[in-house]
Amino acid sequence: MKLLTVLATSAALALSATYAVAGSHGGANIFVVGGKPDDPFWSRVKKGAEDAGVVAESQGGSVTWLGPQNYDNLGPDAAELIRQAIDQGADAIVGPDWVPEAMDPAFEAVVAAGIPLVIYNAGGIEAADRLGALNYVGAVDYKSGYAGGEYLGNAGHKNGACVNTLPGAANIEAFCNGFNDGLAAAGGNGSVLQLPATAFGDATAVAQAVRAHVLQNPQIDAMFAIGDQDTNATISGIQQAGKAGKVHVCGMNFNDSILANIQQGTQACAIDQQGYQQGFFAVSILNNHVMYGTTIPTREILTGPGVIDASNVELVIAGVKAGAR
Amino acid sequence: MTSPSKSRAKGSALGALARRPETGSLLGFAVVFAFFAMLGGPVFMGAPGWSSWLNIAAEVGIIALPVGLLMISGEFDISVGSIVPASSMMTAMLSGHYELPALVGIAGGLSVGLIVGYVNGVLVSRTSIPSLIVTIGVMFSVMGLTLGFAVLLKGSTSVSYVPDALTKSLLGQFINGMFNVSILWWLGFVAVFFFALHLSPFGNWIFALGGDRQSARNAGIPTSRVTIGLFMASGFCAAFVGVAQVMTYQQANVAGGQAFIFNSIMCVVIGGVLLTGGAGSIIGIVLGTMTFAVVNQGIFFAAMDPNVGSIIIGALLLAAVISNDGFRSLTLRAAAK
Repeated sequence: MKLLTVLATSAALALSATYAVAGSHGGANIFVVGGKPDDPFWSRVKKGAEDAGVVAESQGGSVTWLGPQNYDNLGPDAAELIRQAIDQGADAIVGPDWVPEAMDPAFEAVVAAGIPLVIYNAGGIEAADRLGALNYVGAVDYKSGYAGGEYLGNAGHKNGACVNTLPGAANIEAFCNGFNDGLAAAGGNGSVLQLPATAFGDATAVAQAVRAHVLQNPQIDAMFAIGDQDTNATISGIQQAGKAGKVHVCGMNFNDSILANIQQGTQACAIDQQGYQQGFFAVSILNNHVMYGTTIPTREILTGPGVIDASNVELVIAGVKAGAR
Repeated sequence: MTSPSKSRAKGSALGALARRPETGSLLGFAVVFAFFAMLGGPVFMGAPGWSSWLNIAAEVGIIALPVGLLMISGEFDISVGSIVPASSMMTAMLSGHYELPALVGIAGGLSVGLIVGYVNGVLVSRTSIPSLIVTIGVMFSVMGLTLGFAVLLKGSTSVSYVPDALTKSLLGQFINGMFNVSILWWLGFVAVFFFALHLSPFGNWIFALGGDRQSARNAGIPTSRVTIGLFMASGFCAAFVGVAQVMTYQQANVAGGQAFIFNSIMCVVIGGVLLTGGAGSIIGIVLGTMTFAVVNQGIFFAAMDPNVGSIIIGALLLAAVISNDGFRSLTLRAAAK
């Protein structure tokens, strides 16, 4: 008898938990598919999504973050997370279109189920149009890379290499294509340094690869790296090659040590896509849409690129201290 | 046990060499090095090339040593992948965020490894759960704890720390601007582990454990204590690499470190350690590590597609296992003569 009571109680608890997710309280339950929560960049996006989620929560809704355990099988894993969000009864879904081949069918299923969708971070407005999403929120990777290439090219550095630690991911390839095109527009030319997938997240592997590459290709005087960690590792590799001051580095995103690098002059620039805003606006747009039926007529909400260099780094540091960046 | 017995000295010197467990690894290293020396050119053969692959070898090598010992004793340790970021986070948090002396940060980082290793050891020796599963479980728990505490205490997932000159020179300096000081630490660890496995009685216990755990216990070997000690050693070494990475890159990150799991196992297997336990040597593990590092760095000097490097590593791994079997049967046949 006692066992039965326990079972009944837990069943009731499980049911109420399901209802909470399905939105019995009247608010919008928004599922956000994103990167690993321990990825420095994605933790900022997550914070933005959660801060916007405060409004959803006050209305009885919720924001749930779904991220992969690792990036080894990014496309299929992320597609699986999107389907999970549908299965859990999402009222609205936010997701990045990292690997269109693998993820588009899952996004199509979201739209087919009548769930409002916003594409953010990767894919651009093309992906949003193709998939029937409400909008795209994010920096355009190609334009971010372009800004980096253009910056270094205009500074007189003409031979570039883009460090790709995640070959196959569409957004990283767009960064690198943008970098090479930006450099070309300024009269230089760029190439891509492809690393094996096992190097991702291993600073030493990235540093040593960069070092070998600049030693074997002494004409290189500009590099572009994607993410805080890879940028730091790239700078270390250049220093170990004895090329500090000869090879100039721009990187995507920033943190304390990147800002310190820019202050000291070991890094030329950082391209900011302002991840916090990506999470914040994507969730806000969807919450207002589900609750009140509003739309944002401006298609393609750009959150970047913004260039941080020695001229404005102090302002950015002040912004970090104020909690705004 | 793996070395040919003295009474067999009448066998030819070449035969004796072929029966050494390291021979396969040595051949593998020589072939791989010659291959990349040919393609990589003078830069690869010069100091920049050597330091490049030695820097890689030192880090993965420090972890591969205890992982190899564990494998000889018949156990796996997957949790090293999460100890590296956990310990570097601890060090950067204590010394960078809370601005405590470097020594406190280093001690904190290293004790993370010892504690996680102790938990691994106790769980493996007190339960019948295979170490592969135990350490996978522990790895995920440590990953979660690292992330949780980082976000709770710092509000972000990376912490910067600029070490003082002495600490930097001991743990994160590039000698001559090229050779990471961790290469010297690696040599030190090699000496310690060589003594432990091949010269001290402790080494015989490890081999006995990998051969037959039950018999080892019946023979009076404190099997639980040996197992716990080995897991603590691998935790310590992984933590050491984590701490050294903070000093080198002046930043700790909750992500990363995962690459060390498979990389260390590959170094060990290419080095001729038997996957099921009971056979292997420190020299073999060192050679396996060097082979791994040369392939990893060689591809960049040879301007090859990095995927080719992965193919070579995979092929080497299989070749190592096959040749180990070959050398072992050779040894057994020679012993049976």
